[in-house]
Amino acid sequence: MSRAETSKFFSRALFLGGFQICLVLLLFSRMVYLQIIEGSYYRVLADGNRIVTRPLVPLRGRVYDKNGILLVENETNFKLLLLADKKKDIEVALASLEAVISLSPEAKEEILKKAQKRQGVESLVIKDNLTWDEVSAIELHAMDLPGMTIEIGSKRRYPFAAEGAHLLGYVSSPSEKEEEEDPSLGIPGLKIGKSGFEKYLNQRLKGTPGYSALEVNARRKIVRELNQIESIPGEDICLTIDERLQRYAYEVLSEHESAAAVVLDIQTGNILALVSFPSFDPNLFTLGINRNDWKDLQNNPYVPLTNKAISGLYPPGSTVKIFVALAALEAGIIDKTTSVQCPGYYYVGDHPFHCYKKEGHGTVNVLRAISESCDVFFYEIAKRVGIDRLSTYYKNLGLGEGGIEGFPHSRKGLVPTKVWKREKKKEKWTLSDTILTGIGQGYISATPMELAIAIARIAGGGKKVVPQLEKGTAHPFPDLGFNPDHLDLVKEAMAHTANSPSGTAYPGRILVEGKEMGGKTGTSQVRRITLSQRRAGQTKTTNLPWEYREHGLFIGYAPLENPRYAIAVIIEHAGGARSAVIAARDILLKAQALEEEPPL
Amino acid sequence: MKTAARSQLFQKFSQLNWTIILLIFFISAIGWGLLISAGKGDPHVWALKQMVRFGMGMVILFGIALTDLRWWLRFAYIFYGVSLALLCGVEFMGFIGMGAQRWIDLYLIQLQPSELMKVALILALARYFHSQSQPLSLYKLSAPLLLILIPTVLVLRQPDLGTAMILLMSGGALFFLAGVSLWIFGIALAAGGASIPILWNFLHAYQKKRIFMFLDPSQDSLGAGYHITQSKIALGSGGLLGKGYLQGTQAYLNFVPLKQTDFIFALLCEEWGLLGGTTLILLYTLLITLCSHIALTTQNDFGRYVASGITVTFFLYMFINIAMVMGLLPVVGVPLPLVSYGGTALLTLLMGFGFLLNVGRQQTLKVPRLSIGIL
Repeated sequence: MSRAETSKFFSRALFLGGFQICLVLLLFSRMVYLQIIEGSYYRVLADGNRIVTRPLVPLRGRVYDKNGILLVENETNFKLLLLADKKKDIEVALASLEAVISLSPEAKEEILKKAQKRQGVESLVIKDNLTWDEVSAIELHAMDLPGMTIEIGSKRRYPFAAEGAHLLGYVSSPSEKEEEEDPSLGIPGLKIGKSGFEKYLNQRLKGTPGYSALEVNARRKIVRELNQIESIPGEDICLTIDERLQRYAYEVLSEHESAAAVVLDIQTGNILALVSFPSFDPNLFTLGINRNDWKDLQNNPYVPLTNKAISGLYPPGSTVKIFVALAALEAGIIDKTTSVQCPGYYYVGDHPFHCYKKEGHGTVNVLRAISESCDVFFYEIAKRVGIDRLSTYYKNLGLGEGGIEGFPHSRKGLVPTKVWKREKKKEKWTLSDTILTGIGQGYISATPMELAIAIARIAGGGKKVVPQLEKGTAHPFPDLGFNPDHLDLVKEAMAHTANSPSGTAYPGRILVEGKEMGGKTGTSQVRRITLSQRRAGQTKTTNLPWEYREHGLFIGYAPLENPRYAIAVIIEHAGGARSAVIAARDILLKAQALEEEPPL
Repeated sequence: MKTAARSQLFQKFSQLNWTIILLIFFISAIGWGLLISAGKGDPHVWALKQMVRFGMGMVILFGIALTDLRWWLRFAYIFYGVSLALLCGVEFMGFIGMGAQRWIDLYLIQLQPSELMKVALILALARYFHSQSQPLSLYKLSAPLLLILIPTVLVLRQPDLGTAMILLMSGGALFFLAGVSLWIFGIALAAGGASIPILWNFLHAYQKKRIFMFLDPSQDSLGAGYHITQSKIALGSGGLLGKGYLQGTQAYLNFVPLKQTDFIFALLCEEWGLLGGTTLILLYTLLITLCSHIALTTQNDFGRYVASGITVTFFLYMFINIAMVMGLLPVVGVPLPLVSYGGTALLTLLMGFGFLLNVGRQQTLKVPRLSIGIL
């Protein structure tokens, strides 16, 4: 190499070296950029790669009756899971599983669908609610079922099945719509209250989910648990219900096709029993109800899924007569002695309104009018009080106000007013409307709960009784401002109804001294008796087909001295009030008897 | 006589640049530490095997370092010819393995003719330029150009983009150092640019995909862009001081694929942070500086070109790998020199360093020019 060549080599080598240094600096600055400037961003990504948080389902709160009897409990549940990394071998896994336990074709289809949909680290639920036999069979063949594990969790159990189904409700997995509205419900295995008490106090019963932070590898297999925040169980809640009375009332109502009853403690407003018949088994829902059972429940003519005690709207019939009487007394329109002549009919213009007693009651005062349920007396009184005042008193007593605020499917009855008719029916209020409202027919409707509240308010001395479902929530009720003399008079009339031989509830009176009841019967027409039927001598509906017969109602209280229990009973299409009276009698007797019977 | 030979051997040993040998050992030892971590703390998985290979490689290194440089000048073309023949053998007779036709299995070390070619090409070019006087006309350059292009095309067909790049670039660097006019480089670059569309058709689908992914890795972060995305996450999440030895979650949980081979730098940076990465790059830079020093101070042209070629090749290994791991270059499959798990690259590198130390030992040796012929 010549000297010139050598110097050229050196200069080019120097250039190359300089270029290399630049490249090394590039590497270094890139490293600083990635590790220092973007470092925290990549750290988050690295953690996101490896950490998966899995929610832990909290234990739902239990529900007790007022004496501490368990109404809703949690039971151990065994769930068969397929680990996430075995999901791709699902067909093989199912085939080997079928050699051990049975799987329905629908269930298999469902599993395959879920296996395709759900990605990620979550295990796949193969079968929920395993029986003991299935659990032991799976444990025995564990070697043949790779990737399958049994998870021990909890499920809801309702030992107090059909008797409490409407009141307590049931839980089930949230629907897709519910999950959309509240993303916090999207926890696998979480159940929420779907009806009844479970839904009413879901917020308190559900508890707070915990979280488990899991480290997973690139194949999404769980390596270890990094951290765990325990879930907090839901609150245990005591109801005001007396389990024994609830059971008994259910038994009493089960003698009829379709019925409902509410028993309130007059002093505290505590709901002691709330029954609707027929009912259903809420345990079916926790297991996941099958299509046939669901269809049967929905198509049953006696609507077992409906809680008639709080969402059944019925014309209250003659039971409202005590409210009308109280309203007239309070308004100063009548007094104890005011009497009306009842010939068996009452004309509004040229239209006759009949008394249920065809031949008429003769001269009746308020006492007799209530106990013998004279319609004509109340046509006249209602006319004198007028619809405006009448509806105000109805509302004061709790009609049209609903039962338990916010309780699922709790409905409000209708107390018609002039304004209501103008707005809804686009018609003018007529005197006929007032007269019908005065005997609980026409537009007026009420739930058994509302009627129970009204009778409790009267029997309790004019206190604004509000029903309570949770134990220990009662506080003194405000006074409604009724004259005690008027209340006493109405109560006296109710005592006559159930205890004097001419009273409409006399056949179902309580014979035990000191435990007698007072009350008022009612029948509500489902269909008007036509003029031709009336001419043919038909004034009763007992010989009509079941669904056309009148509803039988009874509202009452016991004992007569210091009333403690208020009751409203409806027997649908009973054809008369008699069976309602008898049911109420039995339930009120039981309620009083239970006072002496210590809870188990 | 016996004692004379022994003292001669001892003298040769003492003439070796032991600082370079120590640095090689040091960098390799870092590699072993990382391989233990990649094996989740178990040295049996990778580290021990790699240590044995290192030992074998060192024997070859010393074997080459202690020979006469002139001997290698003489056999440079033969060596190149044999390497080319083996490369053709892999190409046409098909020693098939790993999906790409790259391997000839020699038990613990798989001999890869393309690796051998990296050293052979440098020796052949060094001999060619050693024998030529300036100025180098275009005609004179056609022979060395073919020396580069024939193996490059063969390697590209294998397909091994990384090796092709190293062959082309180390050859190009020797052309540059040999004083080839800059305008010739200009023409070569233009020709290269023009041939990209043609070369594109030769690329395999996965290579095209890798290049696309390089241009936009976020496009498919679970598919082909996964390597580079996860590698960047590993590296970036290391921060200043790293997550600690054996604590690299990205590598430990298998998010970074090939963490023991091509992506081991990501593992280093995840566990040791910027500090670890910088330390390794500094050690590399120091080694390259010492090698460059040998290249610059050698007085014979052959030795000078050999030392330069080896140094540039080593630099290319390092730069391409680290740039690839950091997402600055497409994923082309070049290991981190002396650190990545694998025998073939290690063997090539230690062979290369053998030549480099050989040159360093005989810097003042007069090497006569040879005729154009093969020997």
